[in-house]
Amino acid sequence: MRILILGLDGAGKTTILYRLQVGEVVTTIPTIGFNVETVSYKNLKFQVWDLGGQTSIRPYWRCYYSNTDAVIYVVDSSDRDRMGISKSELVAMLEEEELKKAILVVFANKQDMEQAMTPTEVANALGLPCLKDRKWQIFKTSATKGTGLDEAMEWLVESLKSRQ
Amino acid sequence: MFAKLKKKIAEEAATAPRTGGRIPRSASKESITSVGADSGDDFASDGSSSRDDLSSQVLRRNDQVRRLEAKLTDYAEQLRIMQKTKEKVEFALEKHQDSSMRKLQEQNEAHQASRTKMAEGQTLALEKKDQEWMEKMAVLEKEKDVLKMRVEELTEKSLTLFQKRDDRDELETFQQQELAKVKHMLLRKEEQLSQREKELEGKEVQLQSARRSLAEAQGRLHLLGQEHQEFSQLNTELEIEREELLVSRDEAESRVREAEQRSRVVEQRSRELQAVIQQVSDDFQKSQALVSCLERSLYSLQTEHNNLKLQQHKAEVVEEDHASTLSELQAKVVSLERRLQQDFSLDQHLQELLEEKREVEQRLEKAREDLLEARTSHADTVSSLEAQITALEQQVVEASEKIQRAEQEITEQQEQLSRMQALWASEKASLDQQLVVERQLRENTTDRLEQEKAVVQSESHTQLDAVRLRMGCLEEAKRCMEEERDKAFSSLQARAEELTAARAELSSRQTVSVEIAMALEDSRKQREELQAQVGDLLKSHDAVQQEVAVLTNQLTEKEEQITMLQNELQASRACVIQLQAQLEGQQAQAEQQEAEKDQQLARLREDAVSQSQLLDSCQSRMSFLEVEVETLTEQLQPPEPCIPSEQNGAVTVDDLHLLQKTNRDLEQQLADKNRTVKQLQQRLAELKRTFQKELDQRPSSDPLATSCSSFTTSSPAPPPGPAPSPSLAMPRRPTSTCTVTNTSDLNDSREINFEYLKHVVLKFMSCREAEAFHLIRAVSVLLNFTREEEDMLKQTLEYKMSWFGSKPSPKGSIRPSISGAAAHWS
Repeated sequence: MRILILGLDGAGKTTILYRLQVGEVVTTIPTIGFNVETVSYKNLKFQVWDLGGQTSIRPYWRCYYSNTDAVIYVVDSSDRDRMGISKSELVAMLEEEELKKAILVVFANKQDMEQAMTPTEVANALGLPCLKDRKWQIFKTSATKGTGLDEAMEWLVESLKSRQ
Repeated sequence: MFAKLKKKIAEEAATAPRTGGRIPRSASKESITSVGADSGDDFASDGSSSRDDLSSQVLRRNDQVRRLEAKLTDYAEQLRIMQKTKEKVEFALEKHQDSSMRKLQEQNEAHQASRTKMAEGQTLALEKKDQEWMEKMAVLEKEKDVLKMRVEELTEKSLTLFQKRDDRDELETFQQQELAKVKHMLLRKEEQLSQREKELEGKEVQLQSARRSLAEAQGRLHLLGQEHQEFSQLNTELEIEREELLVSRDEAESRVREAEQRSRVVEQRSRELQAVIQQVSDDFQKSQALVSCLERSLYSLQTEHNNLKLQQHKAEVVEEDHASTLSELQAKVVSLERRLQQDFSLDQHLQELLEEKREVEQRLEKAREDLLEARTSHADTVSSLEAQITALEQQVVEASEKIQRAEQEITEQQEQLSRMQALWASEKASLDQQLVVERQLRENTTDRLEQEKAVVQSESHTQLDAVRLRMGCLEEAKRCMEEERDKAFSSLQARAEELTAARAELSSRQTVSVEIAMALEDSRKQREELQAQVGDLLKSHDAVQQEVAVLTNQLTEKEEQITMLQNELQASRACVIQLQAQLEGQQAQAEQQEAEKDQQLARLREDAVSQSQLLDSCQSRMSFLEVEVETLTEQLQPPEPCIPSEQNGAVTVDDLHLLQKTNRDLEQQLADKNRTVKQLQQRLAELKRTFQKELDQRPSSDPLATSCSSFTTSSPAPPPGPAPSPSLAMPRRPTSTCTVTNTSDLNDSREINFEYLKHVVLKFMSCREAEAFHLIRAVSVLLNFTREEEDMLKQTLEYKMSWFGSKPSPKGSIRPSISGAAAHWS
């Protein structure tokens, strides 16, 4: 199972990856490149790729799309200004042929922040309701607090199992 | 004779050549004939000469013949002489020859004999010599064998010596160890020896002491024997004395009998006296009992008297108490009366008080009566008791008088008795004393003597026993000591032998060791020299090595520097190449992006235009519709009053519904369009932003590109900023830049790209094949790989991942990368 964690820079992708792998909050630096870790959840082993979300290295995401089973798209819920950029990146990503069969899980991250948007707001801002031919779900998460990640992974595992 | 002959021969020889014939040495007749023959030949040869000369010649020849005849005669005579002499000579010669022959034969014989002898001798000698030589040879061969053996032995010895020399160190160590051991053992043995000697000395001392004690014991024994003799003498003396004493005892016993008779008389008298004394003492006892009875009654009376006195005293005390209470009560009465006087009004109280007073007075009176009664009774008892006392005192006085009298009697009697007793006693005592003294003396002496004897005997016995025991002990001890001594001596001798052996061994070993030590010292010296040499060599070698090491270090440092420099060079070259590639990629990307953006922009513009057109149309339609609505409402308003026209009104209502529906639809459409317009505007804004960024990055990358010396291609001129709405783009820029560079100072996308490339390549190289397979794409995109190169990379990775399969051939995938890249970069 191959999972990509995508999202804008500073959304919390690396924190989520290591929260999933070791269950701890690690101090991260901006990922110039990627991190790949093997995460086992419910007897399923995932090869999780956390790709750097800097603007200049976003074009390289497409190099990793092949054979991807699921995409975890991480959104900084408190960053209302860049929600549009996030949406356009998401749309561009979903248009890729190699990701046609990939399941989309959106993490409305940083829910612990005060000015965070609600998951429905985020879903609307990303235009998720308009998606067709795509199995998707949005979850409110907080990588630093560790909330919502289990539910999201539960759903992801179930949907991956049902798809097989 | 021979000389003459010789002379003649010489003369003949001198003439012969003139004739030209040969003259034999042995002159004889034959030579003359030969001369004639020769002359004939001469004649024959000279036959051609003139006949004139013939006569002269014949004359001459005649003369010559005559001369010759004369000569011949001379010669004949000479010959005859000669023959005579010859004969003589021959005779002599024969003689001589004979003699010489004889001599010769003799000599020859002698010689042969001698020669044979010599030969025999020689052969003998030779044989002897041969034998000798053979012997010598044999000896020599033996010697040779021996020598060979010796040589072999020597070689063996040398080998062994070498071995020994090899083992020398070990031997040395062993020797030292053994020496140490031997020394240690020796020391221990010496210590043991010394200990044994000490022990022996101690034993000897003990022995001596034992001997001394033995001597002392013997001396004592002797003394004791003497004492025993003395004591036996004394015993005999004492026995004599005892006999004497027995005699005296008999005498004394007879005296004692007399004294006993006397004493019996005295005893009779004393018995009488004792009876008197007993009577007196009975009287005395009676009187004493009476006195004691009286004293007892007196004592009881006195105690009664004392009790009474005490009672009287108590009564007095009670009286005093009563008096005091009375006085208190009187005082109370006085005070109460005063109070009464002071307070007349309180009648009841007064009455009570008066009653109280009365009661108190009554009690007082009772107490007084009691007191009086007690006094009277007391006085009565006192008087009666006093009377009793007086009577008793009288009785006592009488009794005491009686007693005094009895006592006087008693004393008198006692005095008598005592006198009698004293007399008797003195007599008896003197006799007894005498007897006792004598007996005691005798008994004492006998006892003493017997005791002494027994003591002496026991002492002597005990002493003898003790002495014997001691003797036995001492002898045993002596034996033991001697045994011990013998043992010690034997052990000492053994030790001494051991010591000597050890010493000899030690000395031999010491000599051996000394030799070895000398050899060792020599070898040590040599070794030291060699070591010194080796040390020097090592030092020089070390120095050289150090120099070499230093040089190698320097070399390695230089090499490292060189490698570092090369690496740096390569890295810089790679950097340069990468930078060029990146630059080109960037340029291409930028151009592509630019084109895309332009296209998008155009599309968006068209979209916007169409949308605005649509919007306009919608607005116009809306306005139209509004107008329509207005007109309709206007239309509607006029028919409102005229309700009766039902058909028309129904139509208008339907129209209204229709219109409202269309209106709603249109509004919805408008809202949708507005949303899409907003979205498009957002996207447009983002695109503008990114485009602006790209434009901003372009000039920053240009100087870097121009700084590269190899990069000489035309830098793309910054495209004319489209910026249709700069007012929209300009204020957005700072926010966008701040969002991009919010966390790092990697402002330059090139730098980020390089970082990214580095990271991806590093991961690609370090991670597993399964992960690396996913990274091929990224790497090939980042490094602008062609499809063939990417496929080749994939194939190689698949080959690496698979268990089987052949290695894919690099079919022209590397070559174009070299040539193409070279062409591209140059």
